[in-house]
Amino acid sequence: MEFTVKDSPNATELFLSGRMTFADHDKFRTLIATFDRPAGHGMVFDLSGVEFVDSSGLGMFIIARDTAQKKNLEFTIRGARDEVKRLFTIAKFNKMFNIVD
Amino acid sequence: MTGASPPNSLYGIDLGIPLDERRVVIADESAFNRKTLARFLQWAGIRRVEFAADADAVLGTLERFDADLLILDTTFGGHDGIPLCRRIRQDPRFRDMPIVMQSALNSDHLRTVCFQAGATDVISKPVNPGECIARVRYHLERRALVQELRSFRERIERDLRQARAMQLALVPEPAAVAALAERRGLAVDAVFRSSDEVGGDFWTIVELDDGRVGLFAADLSGHGIAAAINAFRLHTLLARVPEGALADPALLLHDLNGRLNEILPVGQFATAFYGVFDTAADQLLYAAAGTTSPILGNAAGLRAIDSAGPLLGPFAGAEYENRVEPFRPGDHLLVYSDGVTEARDAFDRMLGEAGLLDLMARALAAAPERPLHRLMADFDADHGQRLRDDLTAIWVARR
Repeated sequence: MEFTVKDSPNATELFLSGRMTFADHDKFRTLIATFDRPAGHGMVFDLSGVEFVDSSGLGMFIIARDTAQKKNLEFTIRGARDEVKRLFTIAKFNKMFNIVD
Repeated sequence: MTGASPPNSLYGIDLGIPLDERRVVIADESAFNRKTLARFLQWAGIRRVEFAADADAVLGTLERFDADLLILDTTFGGHDGIPLCRRIRQDPRFRDMPIVMQSALNSDHLRTVCFQAGATDVISKPVNPGECIARVRYHLERRALVQELRSFRERIERDLRQARAMQLALVPEPAAVAALAERRGLAVDAVFRSSDEVGGDFWTIVELDDGRVGLFAADLSGHGIAAAINAFRLHTLLARVPEGALADPALLLHDLNGRLNEILPVGQFATAFYGVFDTAADQLLYAAAGTTSPILGNAAGLRAIDSAGPLLGPFAGAEYENRVEPFRPGDHLLVYSDGVTEARDAFDRMLGEAGLLDLMARALAAAPERPLHRLMADFDADHGQRLRDDLTAIWVARR
C-alpha cells in the first residue's frame, strides 16, 4: 500500500493505492497519525487506486473509523471500485461507514 | 595480576559482559604459551580454562570439558594444527564452536588455509593481550547470543507445535464428522490448514436435538498467534450460546457479535457462516457475517450464495438475517475461507470466486461423489502448498 496526503482547511484527503493487506500494518500506523486534526475536520480515504483489500485491510478501515470517532472527525471512504467495493458490500460497510462513490 | 579476584578489565577498560561460565581449551605444545594465554584469558574474565598438550588429547578434552571455544596453534602436534582444525570442525559436536588459531607465520596464504580448514579467526604470534582478549570475547559473546537465540527458537517451536496440536483438536475429527454425516443423510469432507503453525480459521459441525445439522465456519482477522487466540475464544463462546441459537443462525451470529464486541480490540473481527441443514424440509437455513460466498450446487448448476452481513465484533448491536436455500438430495454446498479465493498462483493472479467456481466444476466432473479432495489437489497444483493465509474448505452434500 502507498498513500499521499492532500490537506485543505476543512478536510484531509488520503489517496491510497495498491494492495491493503496484513503486510501494511506499520504503514497504516503512519497513515493513522495524520488523523491528528481538530474536531469537525474531515478525513477522506480515496480508494480509487486500491486494487485489493484483505481482511486485515478491512480491520484498518475499522481502526480509522474508531480513531475518527474518538477525535470527532468526519470520516469518509470514497471511490472504492471492483473487488474492494464488493468486499464492502459483503461486510455491509455502507451501514457502518460514510461511503461515497 | 595474580590477585585473588582478577579484574574483568585490561588497561583499565571494562571488557563487557561477564564470561565466567564460559569454557576455553588452549591447545598449544609450549608450556610457556599455554601459561601466557591462560593469563590473558584470566584478564578477560574467563576462569574456566583447560589445556591440551598433544593432538590426540584435544577432541577428548573438548568433549569432556564441554568447551565453548578452542585456541589452537597452527604448529600444534608437529605442523598438524590445520588438519586437526578441519577434523574438529567436521565433528558435528563442535560444528558451532569458535576455533581461534594462532600462528607465528603471518602470511595471507597461511591465514586463508586456516579459514578454509574451519578456523573462526586467526591471530598472529607473538600474541598481544588486548587483541587476544578482544577476539576471544567477541567469539564467545557471539556464541552466547547464537545459543540464546537457538534456545529461544527451540522453546517457541515447541510451544507452537503444542499450540498447533491444540488447534487441530479444536476442529471436529474426520471419523466423528463421517459418523454424524452418515446418521443424518449427508456427506461431509473438510480441509483445514494454517499458513503459520497456528492460525485464525475455525470450524465445527453440530447435531441439533431435532436431527438437523449445524455447520459453523469462521475466519478471525489476521493470522498467527493473535488470530489463533481469538479462534480459541470464539470456540469457547460458541459453547455458551443461549438455548435455541443453534437452530437460529441469525440469532447465533447476533449473540456471538455481542460477546466478541466486548472482548476483541479495535480492528480485530471475525467473518463467519452458520448454516442449518434440514433434510426433512429439504432446506438450508443460514446467516453470514461478511464471509466468502458459499458455493451451492444443484440440478441447475453451481452458484455463489449471498453471504453479506456485518463482521463479527466491531459493531455493537449489528443485525444479521436468516436466508433460506432449497437443499434436496444430490445438492451440495462448499463453505470456505478467504485463504482459498485470495490465494495467488505463480503469476500473482488471485483465484477469486470465479476461479473457485471453475475449480469446483472441474472437480465435480472428475469426482462427482467426493469432489473436495480433487479440488484441493488442483488448487495445490496451481497455488502450491505454501499458504499466505489460513485455509478452510468444507463440503456438505445431501445423499
